[in-house]
Amino acid sequence: MRGQLAPYVFLSPTLVLVTLFFFIPLVMVFILSFTNLDMTNFGILEWWSPANWSLDNYIKIFTNRFFSKILGNTIMYVVLTLTVFNVGLALVIALITTHINRRAGFAFRVLWFLPRITPVVVYIMMWKALAGPAPMGIINSILGPLGIGSGKYLLNTNPWIFIILANGFIGASFGMILFSSAIEAIPKDYLMASKVDGATTWQTIRYVELPALKWPLLFVTTYQTLSLLTSFQQIMLLTDGGPGLYQTEVWALTAYHRALTSYFGNTQWGYGAAWSVVLVIIGIVMAVIYLRVFKFGELVEEPKIDQL
Amino acid sequence: MKRLLVLMLIGCLVVAGGLVALAQNTETITITIRCRAKPPMENWRGNNFILAAEELNADLEAAGDSRRVEVVINQDNIDWGDYVTEFVLGYGADESPDIWLTGHEYIGAQAEAGRIISLDELMKEFPGFNNVIDNLWDSTSYKGKIWGVPQDAEARPLYFNKVLLGKLGWPADEIAALPEKIEKGEFTLYDMLTVAKEAVDKGVVANGNGFWTRPKNGPDFTPFYYAFGGETIDAATGKLVFDKEAGGKYYKFFYDAAQNYGSMACLGLGWSDAWHPGVSGSKVLFWIGGTWQWAEWAEAYLKALGGEDYMWKTFGFALIPAAEKGGRPNTLTHPLAYLISSQCKYPDLALALIDKVTEFGPNTRHAIASTHLGILKGQTEYKFYKSSRLLSEALYMLDYTTFLPNNPNWGSYSSIIYEALAATVGGDFTPQEAVDFVVDGLQRELGDNIIIR
Repeated sequence: MRGQLAPYVFLSPTLVLVTLFFFIPLVMVFILSFTNLDMTNFGILEWWSPANWSLDNYIKIFTNRFFSKILGNTIMYVVLTLTVFNVGLALVIALITTHINRRAGFAFRVLWFLPRITPVVVYIMMWKALAGPAPMGIINSILGPLGIGSGKYLLNTNPWIFIILANGFIGASFGMILFSSAIEAIPKDYLMASKVDGATTWQTIRYVELPALKWPLLFVTTYQTLSLLTSFQQIMLLTDGGPGLYQTEVWALTAYHRALTSYFGNTQWGYGAAWSVVLVIIGIVMAVIYLRVFKFGELVEEPKIDQL
Repeated sequence: MKRLLVLMLIGCLVVAGGLVALAQNTETITITIRCRAKPPMENWRGNNFILAAEELNADLEAAGDSRRVEVVINQDNIDWGDYVTEFVLGYGADESPDIWLTGHEYIGAQAEAGRIISLDELMKEFPGFNNVIDNLWDSTSYKGKIWGVPQDAEARPLYFNKVLLGKLGWPADEIAALPEKIEKGEFTLYDMLTVAKEAVDKGVVANGNGFWTRPKNGPDFTPFYYAFGGETIDAATGKLVFDKEAGGKYYKFFYDAAQNYGSMACLGLGWSDAWHPGVSGSKVLFWIGGTWQWAEWAEAYLKALGGEDYMWKTFGFALIPAAEKGGRPNTLTHPLAYLISSQCKYPDLALALIDKVTEFGPNTRHAIASTHLGILKGQTEYKFYKSSRLLSEALYMLDYTTFLPNNPNWGSYSSIIYEALAATVGGDFTPQEAVDFVVDGLQRELGDNIIIR
């Protein structure tokens, strides 16, 4: 009996935390998304009463004039940041830093970790300074004389480039750590064997190392897709969805704007909640697709060798 | 750090006050005051209460009242939206401040929700309030009752850069006469755009910088809608109004400005990193701002160049021009007001404190430091008020002023109007599409609470 209870006792702290800080808020947000709770009727509207629930918020989202623009922005932001930086560049850095001198590789990875450990406001302030017009903006001082964006505030002329760079520099370090540790974990005799067989470095990477990275690749891709879908703080601080109308507004930022910001304070909590519920659904669907495509089931099967 | 010091000081006062109270058998009551203020220009909004509390305690003692007040002041410069959220959520947690300073247009929503009290009855015992300029009470009235005491007022003028006009070949006397021409209705909104276009064509300013508004939603856009004949509120029913014809002209003006007259490259800019440096750094020919920004530019952006002296040489200001020749120019005043929370246990003491800061001395201190206009009758004759050149020269604008409506739905209304404007400026909407978008959005969002004309 004690043996059967023990796992639940060990699980209970997590269970309590997840229930309190994830499950209950999730249910509340889900309910809120069917109400028109906002700043004007807070404390008056009985949002928990089914009589006040309707699908109006969802109709408003899908008939919104800017729905396709926001969705398009979100897809572009997630796909570009994910492929170019969070997976692509992360893999490249991991491969390079594991194929050079170990200490140099380590030092290089530490450098790449700086954006992640810098407080986000400081980090974005640095990007804003970089993007400013010359003489203050460093990028402009270098590219301006070459005729690229001379004297312009680059954040306003090319906001997407800066958003993807700022996010990608942070995002790449996550995959970099996982990939390089996975590469380090490959038994050295495999690598030596490939060398004995006359494989070039590229062939070693392609036929020995990359196949061993399938699991971390799945994990990083899935995790980073979901994390990019819901991340907005860098965009909020960099452009706040501007400079044009919804020019760089992504889904999560819209949910935040609707629910929590408004010049005249008419924050629409119910409507904002609906935007985030749709995002949760998109996230779950994406996760399921990833698990299918990468054949998650096979990856977690018992190793066949142990069954002998 | 400064705030910490203020809080520590208040803490010491509390302890000292408590000891004194024990000795004298008095009851000490804490009144919390929440203000939004840009430091250092607007700090008097809250700091005036420190002296007011001393005076009030003297009054209470003289009158044999055993109560004594101490004030806890919390002021900073957060966004208005966050500021309102904080109050509403604070109220929900039974922790709202006793005195809350805010824009008058929030009164409708807060009064409807029962979070603030009406002041008519209480005010009868404080005749000092009769000194407040009469029409300012209109801005704090809702459904026939007064809900707030005006704290300051301002004008939102059309600023122009004299040096840049000079570069366009305007002689000095013509530049000096511009405010008067605008006041007489001889220089219209489209005349302004024509000059802006000329400045862009001649390379005096960059394309997009002929004429700017504020970079985000806010009160500054409404006077343009009024200029084209628009109305925001129906006097008979108190409902919000959208006038399609005026709206069409309003959107056409901003569409033209952005697409045809080299203007409006301002929407979406950051205030401190691009907007203020742009206008104060002589990169923009015409722009709409507030009188309080005059102090801000002098203090935060142009101090090294000579502050106000430099600004008088470089910038001029006038009313917002009329839409048509001979028409009436306008501006907008957006008074801030002290409101009293319905959770306040001693509203009489809170109002007594507000009464103490609604006097020539405290109000003028704030007016001068922040270049806001005064709110009291005869304040312009007050010796120290007259020392501010800007306040004296901008005063005539109050004769042409307009207000935002006090209506609980103003926030939603304004968001939709602004979204269409941003789309028009960005070239996503034609003026007609903007009007259709607004009509559709307002009807969907506000239902019976909107009148479309």
